[in-house]
Amino acid sequence: MRIFFIFLTAFLLVLSCGADGKNDQNHQDIEDVDKKYLLVKTIDEKGLDSLLNNRHGKILLINVWATWCIPCREEFPDLVRLVDNYKNEKVDIIGISADYPDEIETKVIPFLKAQRVNFINFVQNFGKQEDFINKLNKDWRGALPTTFVYDANGKQQIYLLGKQSFKDFSQTIESIKKSL
Amino acid sequence: MLNKYVLIVYLVIFLLSNVISAGELKKVENFTLKDYTGKAHSLADYKESKAIVVMFIATRCPVSNAYNSRMVNLYNDYHEKNVTFIGINSNKQEDTKEIAQHSKDNKFAFPVLKDEQNVIADKFDAQVTPEIFVLNSNLEILYHGRIDDSQREKEVKSSDLRNALNEILADKSVDTKETKAFGCTIKRVSK
Repeated sequence: MRIFFIFLTAFLLVLSCGADGKNDQNHQDIEDVDKKYLLVKTIDEKGLDSLLNNRHGKILLINVWATWCIPCREEFPDLVRLVDNYKNEKVDIIGISADYPDEIETKVIPFLKAQRVNFINFVQNFGKQEDFINKLNKDWRGALPTTFVYDANGKQQIYLLGKQSFKDFSQTIESIKKSL
Repeated sequence: MLNKYVLIVYLVIFLLSNVISAGELKKVENFTLKDYTGKAHSLADYKESKAIVVMFIATRCPVSNAYNSRMVNLYNDYHEKNVTFIGINSNKQEDTKEIAQHSKDNKFAFPVLKDEQNVIADKFDAQVTPEIFVLNSNLEILYHGRIDDSQREKEVKSSDLRNALNEILADKSVDTKETKAFGCTIKRVSK
C-alpha cells in the first residue's frame, strides 16, 4: 500500500510538471510577440502622409486587411514571413486594418497576437472610408486584401489586388529593387 | 490672322468635346445569365424598367452578408415603382446550390444569377462585393458603388443607392454617381 502511494505521488508530480511546462510554453509564445507590435493605433490622413513622405530610402508595402476578411487572414502568415525575410533590407512592411477603431482591443489585437505579428499595424480612421480608399489609389474600389507597394521615393509602383503569396510579394519587392 | 482663327476654332472644338464627354454615360453590354433555378435572364428583358439595379453579391462575404436585409428592404421599397433588382454571384467557389440556399435563407425575392468564369464581372469591371450598378433602359450606368456608407446599419449616414433611386424616379440626374466602400474581393478564376 505504501509503495502504491509513493508511485501515485510520483506520477502526479510528473503530470503536474508536464502541465506547467505546457503552460509555460504557451506563455512564452505570447511573450515572444514584441509588445510594440500589439500597440495598435489608428491612422488618419496626416499619419498616412507622414508614412508615405518619410521613406528614408526604403521601399514600403502597405497591406490593407480586416479581421472579417478570410483571404486577408490566410495571407497574413506570408506577410510575417516576408518581414523576417527582409528585416535586414531597406524594406518597410506596414498593415492597415479596415476594422472599426472600436474593435482594436476585441478583434484586431487578438488576431495579431495569434499571428505572432512582427510588424506595425494601424486601424484606418479617415472619417470617410472612401477618402482612405481614394488616398491609396483612385482606381481601387475597396476590395480586401490589397497591398500597395511604394518605391524608396514614396511613389506608388503597383497595387496587388486580392490574396498574394510570399513569392508574389517577394517578386514585387525584387522588381522594384532592380528598378531603383 | 488666319492662324488666330484656326486657333479659336480648335479651342471651341476642344471645349465642346469636353462638354460632350462630360455628359456621356458609360454603357454596359446586354448579357444573359441563368439564375439558380436555371431560368435565363437578360438585361434586355428589363428595358421597360425605370432603373435596373445590378448587385454583385456573395454568399460568404461578411460585408455582402451585412447588407442582406438592406437589399431585401430596398427590393420591397422599390420593385413596385418599376425598379428591377438583379443579384449576380461571380465568386468561383460559390456554386448555384449554395446561392439557392443563401437566397432562401435571406428571403431574397430578386433573382441571383450565377456568373460562371466571372465573365460579367470582367465586363462590368466589378471588383468587390457588394458592388452596385444602376442602369437606365439604354443600359447606361447612372450610379456605381456602395449601398450605403456603413456596414453597421445603425451608423449609416449616407444611403447612396436609395438616394440615387429616388433621384431617378423623380426624373432628376443622379447627384452622386460614384461611391466606394470596403468589401470582399470577387474571387475570380485564373484566365
